[in-house]
Amino acid sequence: MKKWWFFLVMGIVAVMLAACGSTATTKSSNKQENYPAKPIMFVAPSGAGGGWDLTARAITKILDETNLVKQTMTVENKPGGGGTVFMAEYATQDKNNDYKLFVNSPPIIINNLKAEGNSPYGYKDTTPLAQLTKDFGAIVVRADSKFQSMSQLLDAIKQNPKSVTVAGGSAPGSMDHLVAILPIYKTGIDPKIVKYVSYDGGGEAIAALLGGNTDVIATDASSVGEYVKAGKVRVLAVTAPERLGGVLKDVPTLKELGIDAEFTIWRGVFGPKQMSDDAKKFWENTFKKLSEHEKWKEELTKQGWEPEYKGSKEFTQFLQEQEQLISDMLKSLGMHK
Amino acid sequence: MDALTFLIDGFQTALQPHNLFFAFLGVLIGTAVGVLPGIGPMSGVALLIPVTASMTSGLDPAQAATSSIILLAGVYYGAMYGGSTTSILLNTPGESSSVVTTLDGYQMAKQGRAGAALAIAAIGSFVAGLVSLIALVLLAEPLSNVALKFGPAEYFSLMLLGLAAVSGLAGNSMTKAWMMTVFGLLLSTIGLDNVSGVARFTYNISFLYGGLEFLTVAVGLFALGEVFKAILHKEKNDGEIAKIGRILPSKAEAKESVGPIARGSLLGFFVGVLPGAGATLASFFSYIMEKKLSKTPEKFGKGTIAGVAAPESANNAASGGAMIPLLTLGIPGSGTTAILMGALIMYNVQPGPLLFDEHPDVAWGLIASMFIGNVMLLILNMPLVKIFAKIIETPTKYLLPLIVAISVFGVYAVQVTIFDVFLLIGFGLLGYLLAQHDFPLAPLVLGLVLGPMIENNMRRALTASNGDFMVFFEKPISLVLLIIAFLWIVVPFIMKLKGKSIIVNEDM
Repeated sequence: MKKWWFFLVMGIVAVMLAACGSTATTKSSNKQENYPAKPIMFVAPSGAGGGWDLTARAITKILDETNLVKQTMTVENKPGGGGTVFMAEYATQDKNNDYKLFVNSPPIIINNLKAEGNSPYGYKDTTPLAQLTKDFGAIVVRADSKFQSMSQLLDAIKQNPKSVTVAGGSAPGSMDHLVAILPIYKTGIDPKIVKYVSYDGGGEAIAALLGGNTDVIATDASSVGEYVKAGKVRVLAVTAPERLGGVLKDVPTLKELGIDAEFTIWRGVFGPKQMSDDAKKFWENTFKKLSEHEKWKEELTKQGWEPEYKGSKEFTQFLQEQEQLISDMLKSLGMHK
Repeated sequence: MDALTFLIDGFQTALQPHNLFFAFLGVLIGTAVGVLPGIGPMSGVALLIPVTASMTSGLDPAQAATSSIILLAGVYYGAMYGGSTTSILLNTPGESSSVVTTLDGYQMAKQGRAGAALAIAAIGSFVAGLVSLIALVLLAEPLSNVALKFGPAEYFSLMLLGLAAVSGLAGNSMTKAWMMTVFGLLLSTIGLDNVSGVARFTYNISFLYGGLEFLTVAVGLFALGEVFKAILHKEKNDGEIAKIGRILPSKAEAKESVGPIARGSLLGFFVGVLPGAGATLASFFSYIMEKKLSKTPEKFGKGTIAGVAAPESANNAASGGAMIPLLTLGIPGSGTTAILMGALIMYNVQPGPLLFDEHPDVAWGLIASMFIGNVMLLILNMPLVKIFAKIIETPTKYLLPLIVAISVFGVYAVQVTIFDVFLLIGFGLLGYLLAQHDFPLAPLVLGLVLGPMIENNMRRALTASNGDFMVFFEKPISLVLLIIAFLWIVVPFIMKLKGKSIIVNEDM
């Protein structure tokens, strides 16, 4: 009887050990002879359902289906502080972990520049690998909202800023906030008086909009398509240089509305600062192949994203320009650090 | 009725042999995931996504989506079944939603009633699973709208009610319970603030940016605390082994559990429907409610079967409730449902308002398979009870190292940092010291869960109302919740003033 027990207990311990072994090995990496030799983790530094999350899942899915990467890839959500929580950890503890990549977009620059909620780490603390998509901001209201057009919304804010609640999936001074503020600021209204409420990710922000807990949200154009189709929301404007396709084809751009502003939400993949050359080369090649693959293009169409590929070098160059642009914008808003 | 015809179609999908197999595999893995601390439902589901993708690659896309989601959802609610096992036997919660179960479950096990506790947890989970599924079929549409009406103000008031009800978790002293609650709230402020992004109490230590991990704290306080106590007090039961009594609950115990299971199922379901509230809160709330309703509240914490039946029913019902915002709105209410949503999107099935129109086979197949999966879980778990219950027979000298090993492995598997292992040991010592001086541990854990939700929702509500606190009283749901919270605290005092024989300090 007792012996039997001993074996069962040992069995449980053995299973535990095995289980730990499979999840706990992605910590550090020294040799890269046959990169990738271990499962790879893609981090979406936000809650699930938002743009980063969808992008990370789409990338891993297609890389897996097309066999461009033969190792297992997992997507992990690391929400908090609009991505700064993850960056603090990544830039310090994972700076040479070739097996942890992450997806990001303008917030990596914004967080590094803004005064409140500043992240000491920016894109310079990473290795930019590739830009893969572009998306645009959208100003969205409920289908039964009294705001039929952007100008009605702007008038209401101009007359009584306290009467309109604007929400987004990230903290003040971050991207959703900038998207919301942009048209308001460009029409000459003081952006500081706009009431902005932040939620944990775009999913929660949409829930708040649908439930009538906020009047307007600013979010990614690609994530509202499903709600537009279902007739639950109305998109007042997109921040694209020209009209988008699909369900949003009737939505005017800010430029059409006479507001001289546009904002591109690029999305790309980053690696650790001290990424090994082998790993960097591997991913540069892989993402280039991915961007040209038919399946990837199909996926982009499905998700309603627009393709835009930039390799590591070009991408880094582009980030420098973007940093300048966002820096100017934050300064004019009085939110620069 | 429309829903019924769809459901029958769903059963036809779910009863296909390969889908039965996927459901079985899912609940089996889920049970294992639930039993092992560290590998929670979230990492369990995430790790299995690529596996299911390759398993279903031979099927056409719609079928593949149905089969994978059946398996993955099986892991999710299977984990809710399994989570109670280590809570009851080893005082080591397998998931955060099983923390409350340790309070009475472990006491029952110590008294040799581990079998009854495990069995009632399985039966309660089964009933709750069925109740929440029926509710899901009938009420999905109207409830999704109610869930949306829950804005920041309502969440704040609900969480405040949770705090007011903390008395339900008190031991001998209310003062000590409140001290622990406040301590938990204070600990919850560590990390980067989600509303403004400002770092608080992190001292530039990057490990602290994300705050203290809930499960690390809970496992440390409960499991390691108990280990330290056993070692330092050299408990003399080395040769003496706790007897396992009967495996099935006695008639009296079964009768005692009916009410808690029914109420736990309903409460758990409704809390589960609210995005962000989740199974952990559901289990806390149902435990507190049962203690309040009980004619013998003094038995709670000392091994009453209602203290196991209620939270275990509630956390399982919550996982059914959480399916509503996920399927009808495309809004994941918890980490695990978020990953399920990611899995659906991978198959090009977009959860949201159009899911039931565009992919009825997937949606209804999933719901039907959850009925089947729950039956499988009951059949699977009842014989296991017999085996698991014997763990308690293991002599202390083997059991203690086992608990330490499970705790350390579990915490490290989730966090992958040595920092969290030290944190675990630190909270183990703290748990021992606090328990020695009769400070209740559960309020601390509740404070840690509620802290960020109270704070963020309050600030959101106040921003929207331009800093006007009236917003909490103007919204009807919020007002009702606040009134209940107020009465909860005040009524016992008034009754005492009136000379009624209620001992405020002991159990209010």
